[in-house]
Amino acid sequence: MEKGKTYVEDIDRGIYDIKNEVRYSFKTEKGLTPEIVKAISREKNEPEWMTEFRLKSLEIYNSKPVPTWGADLSDLDIENIVTYIRPDTDMKSSWDEVPEDIKKTFDLLGIPKAEQESLAGVGAQYDSEVVYHNMREDLIKKGVVYTDMETAVREYEEIVRKHFMKLVPPTDHKFAALHGAVWSGGSFVYVPEGVVVDIPLQSYFRLNAPGAGQFEHTLIILEKGAKLHFIEGCSAPKHSVNNLHAGCVELFVNEGARLRYSTIENWSRNIYNLNTKRAVVERNGIIEWVSGSFGSKVSMLYPMSILKGEGARAEFTGITFASKGQYLDTGAKVVHAAPYTTSTINSKSISKDGGHAFYRGLLRVAPNAHHCKSTVSCESLMLDNKSKSDTLPIIELGNDNIDIGHEAKIGRISDEAIFYLMSRGISEEEAKAMIVRGFVEPIAKELPLEYAVEMNNLIKLELEGAIG
Amino acid sequence: MYSIELLNGLLCKKEEWIKAYRLRKFEEFEKLPVPSWKRLKLENFSIPDFKEYRKEFLKNDIDGEGIFVKDINDVSALDEFKEYIDVQKSFGISDKFVTLGEAFYNSGVVIKAASKLKEPVRISYSLDNENSVVIDHNIIVAERDSEITVVIDYSSLSENEEYMNFFHNGVTKVYAADKAVVNIVKVQRMSNSAYHFDSNVAFIGREAKVNWISVEIGSGISATSFITNLEKTASESSLKSIYFGDGESRIDMQYTMNHIGMRSISNIETRGALKDKARKVFRGNLDFKKGARKAKGEEAEYALLLDPTVKADAIPVLFCAEDDVQGNHAASAGQIDENQLFYLMSRGFNEKEAKKLIVEASFKPIIDSIPVEDIKESINLEIHRRLVYV
Repeated sequence: MEKGKTYVEDIDRGIYDIKNEVRYSFKTEKGLTPEIVKAISREKNEPEWMTEFRLKSLEIYNSKPVPTWGADLSDLDIENIVTYIRPDTDMKSSWDEVPEDIKKTFDLLGIPKAEQESLAGVGAQYDSEVVYHNMREDLIKKGVVYTDMETAVREYEEIVRKHFMKLVPPTDHKFAALHGAVWSGGSFVYVPEGVVVDIPLQSYFRLNAPGAGQFEHTLIILEKGAKLHFIEGCSAPKHSVNNLHAGCVELFVNEGARLRYSTIENWSRNIYNLNTKRAVVERNGIIEWVSGSFGSKVSMLYPMSILKGEGARAEFTGITFASKGQYLDTGAKVVHAAPYTTSTINSKSISKDGGHAFYRGLLRVAPNAHHCKSTVSCESLMLDNKSKSDTLPIIELGNDNIDIGHEAKIGRISDEAIFYLMSRGISEEEAKAMIVRGFVEPIAKELPLEYAVEMNNLIKLELEGAIG
Repeated sequence: MYSIELLNGLLCKKEEWIKAYRLRKFEEFEKLPVPSWKRLKLENFSIPDFKEYRKEFLKNDIDGEGIFVKDINDVSALDEFKEYIDVQKSFGISDKFVTLGEAFYNSGVVIKAASKLKEPVRISYSLDNENSVVIDHNIIVAERDSEITVVIDYSSLSENEEYMNFFHNGVTKVYAADKAVVNIVKVQRMSNSAYHFDSNVAFIGREAKVNWISVEIGSGISATSFITNLEKTASESSLKSIYFGDGESRIDMQYTMNHIGMRSISNIETRGALKDKARKVFRGNLDFKKGARKAKGEEAEYALLLDPTVKADAIPVLFCAEDDVQGNHAASAGQIDENQLFYLMSRGFNEKEAKKLIVEASFKPIIDSIPVEDIKESINLEIHRRLVYV
């Protein structure tokens, strides 16, 4: 057996680019038919309603056009994406039983170490199914559930049935329908009333097989007064075939609950990242999004918060870094659907080396949502003259008793700032790097330490060679 | 109906090239569907039938030394504007309405300025039952080092004298040669039964300036578009606008600044107020094209919302393909500041009067920059009248 080829396509992104030999126990034909969808469902031993749901989603998928706004998706050959690839390992409860090559990749990504040190649970998705899962004992005793979606469908069927794709219905858009038809893997978290999970739960997704799509589903339910920080990180090795990621995240934040959902996404540069994330927040609940978009060839990602209960709150902090060959169309959507709701959107983007960063946002205030407050701020930094940076925030206000502010800025690093730092004895390169670090600092400080370090490393790697 | 027969009737006695131009525009017009606008809720709109506009719209006769002002239907006038009449790029609120204006215009002016002119050119349309349709086509050319101000006013019979289907569809093309200054003031204060569609485009030369002032305080449906191309080094443009929506009126404003030239500067400032069930859409676009080094663009929009039933959309867009630029935009919306209101009321004003004062005060700097006294007065009166029911 080949031990794994090392692809070094950037300076040190290498650790994300180790490809394992592809081994399958089951693999669907290319393209999408009801038979494939049925086969996926059968393979997973799913209840009938889920099989029905998948078939219905497939119908919707076939009836919807590919969106024509935003990114150019003409390169994405949907028929050729193998939708379901399961590694030939079953669920393991102990790390030792995970196959060596898979383990090694995760080791490089630092997952088991993180777990030993501080993390409550690790769900690592390898291709389409979760291969490794574990959670701290005391949380299980409190009734916290953290498992993969397949298990959840079987063991927590009622809860899943009540919530699954209710927030992001397959009718939402073409890729949501595709997700509904072929979803596989992902995390399910249930935190009972009043339970506070004091350390972050973490899951790392990973794509491996060439031409494979990834359609993981994340469903998180926080009951009254519960608290959770969930971290989702993504990384994938580079292959020559275009890869599609059309995941779906549904977050239910009940009365007084508080959920922080952090993502550092670093897909390799051939991935189409067409992810749909949505949260609904009940009375006095809080949703906090922390989102870093670094990787992928094309991203279209706009996490949405629906503030449904009075006093609900949403915060979005995001950074997008578009480099050579990347078109990252990201942003945030907030719907104020109840009185006294608050939202804060803080988005930053950096583009360099021909990268194109696009902020696209929506702020909607329903007619009944009086006394709501919102601030939206977008800042863009362009590091050279080959790159592009656009901002398109849509603001729709449905009543008068509100307080809304929006600001956006675009520009490059000012010569004065560089000159000042250089006059203090700092080299030009270092001065530029310092300014960029200062620019992303508000986001870095929202992240758990190891992610902040990872993000800073990513930025450092991106800047080397670019500046000077 | 806007048919070929109608157009042929309009084209008799016209020059050949003008016939060819308008027939070509008609062909384009015929192929296009009437647009549906989601945000304005304009669906299945049928364009009101063509009518002649028989009133005099050129208000002052300043044709003479260094200035050329003529009715566009004056056959002898057009030859000099041959190179300006056709705009290659698509512009305006929609191609359908632009081509309608270019093929079927019933009014409009052609202006050429060669020197610095103090007195503004005044054009005024007053729609009534006999003259209920204005389709105007204006071409304004300022030659090198010249300066000109053009004030175009659209009004109609007041609300009480019942009439439906007032229709204005305009196309205005502005060319400012190097170092020229063009000031355009557009005032729209028609009754709420009117439809107002207006498409404007400007091309600005080196160190030249185009300053727009747009006042939108009437019409049931109003869609306006100002597209400004800052084409050369140090081209400059400012756009100041105010809007006021009441009843069920719907206002859509699109302001685009295309920064092409180096060191080009643009500034958009919009202030407005909405009451009753009025709805507005503000679209402000700053587009920095590659090569527009050291360009600066700013846009700001302030909306005062006076009733819980209003709807206010804003889409401020920044496009940037050049790193060495500065672009800022800000938008804010909300109720009248309570402190201001409280202060005025403590001085003996009642709440309604205080609100009125605050709205009027927010409009004042823009209205004050209009160079024609009686138009300023009419705007103030109109706003005052519409604010009575705050």
